[in-house]
Amino acid sequence: MSPLTRAGATRCLASRLTNEVVVSNLGQASLDLLAIADRPLNCYTFGAMGQCSSIGLGIAIGRPDVRVICLDGDGSLLMNLGSLCTIAAEAPRNYVLMVWDNEVHQTTGGQPTATARRASLVAIARGAGIEKGLEVRTPDELERAVDRILAEDGPFVVVVKVDRGSTTAAFDPDVIGQPARFRKALAAL
Amino acid sequence: MTDQSWAKHVADVLRRNDIRLYPTVPDFIVSHVLDELGADPECRVITTTREEEAVGLLSGAWLAGHRGALLMQNSGLGNCTNALASLNVASLVPLVLVMSQRGDLGEFNPAQVPMGRALTRLLEALGIRWIRPTSIAELEQQADGLIKLCYVSGQPVAIVLPTELTGGKKG
Repeated sequence: MSPLTRAGATRCLASRLTNEVVVSNLGQASLDLLAIADRPLNCYTFGAMGQCSSIGLGIAIGRPDVRVICLDGDGSLLMNLGSLCTIAAEAPRNYVLMVWDNEVHQTTGGQPTATARRASLVAIARGAGIEKGLEVRTPDELERAVDRILAEDGPFVVVVKVDRGSTTAAFDPDVIGQPARFRKALAAL
Repeated sequence: MTDQSWAKHVADVLRRNDIRLYPTVPDFIVSHVLDELGADPECRVITTTREEEAVGLLSGAWLAGHRGALLMQNSGLGNCTNALASLNVASLVPLVLVMSQRGDLGEFNPAQVPMGRALTRLLEALGIRWIRPTSIAELEQQADGLIKLCYVSGQPVAIVLPTELTGGKKG
């Protein structure tokens, strides 16, 4: 049991947001974000499992004046570990990758991922060359991490160990309208 | 005899259509285009670990207001098929794919043949409009229109670079 939940951690981050972009992974991360803190600068993703961190990297490179916070999942990031190497190499200062690590494939029934066994995503991120790698396990650590990512230059990788459990939030099938809304909001910023 | 200026023509077509961001998993043939783009201070070449990652990166860049093209070998299309379908085609996020075609005329490596044979049918199955210019004249005739179609329709498009245009890879 972790003292943190994905929804609680999402609330903690959302309560501090101003004009940051938030890119959320398909499934649980997007459903929680949509239910808790819907805003035009949220970039929900619906497909391309594994690509949340890379989509955020593209936004960060395209808009170096805006802080970009990705909310990925352990199962999805494990599909695209090479992304960590590209993030380290490009090193955008406005880039943050938060990972809701509940050690299972939540949406598909809770099958354990590699982080339930021996893998450490923060160690992998550091090995990829990302110096600011944090692992967060308590509400206090989360508060301090959120303070840092909103104030300091990145790139950051923040692995947040969260409890298992599916969200009850509803799915928004507007796969065309949501990205279009985001693109317009970012252009206006 | 292949006209070696084909690579500059490909780079020029991309640049004159305001494409500046070029994530890539390199390949011997597209490396000639990358040499042109890498030497241009207005262009940014980013080597990714896998083609799918480049699709994500370009999709983010487009959402942030920038055009980009993914340079790769046709084998890379297999590595990014789901991302192209479930993100770009589904959500109307345009990008330009530029890929060498291995596994066709003059191929020396049998392992390249199945993907070379599947290439255009795979693009068609995804609903991705493609051109396959066999000469610089054909490239110049078709590529600007293809890129215009990409951004008007909000759909990915593909420029396939066959051996007839590039000379291929000799082994």
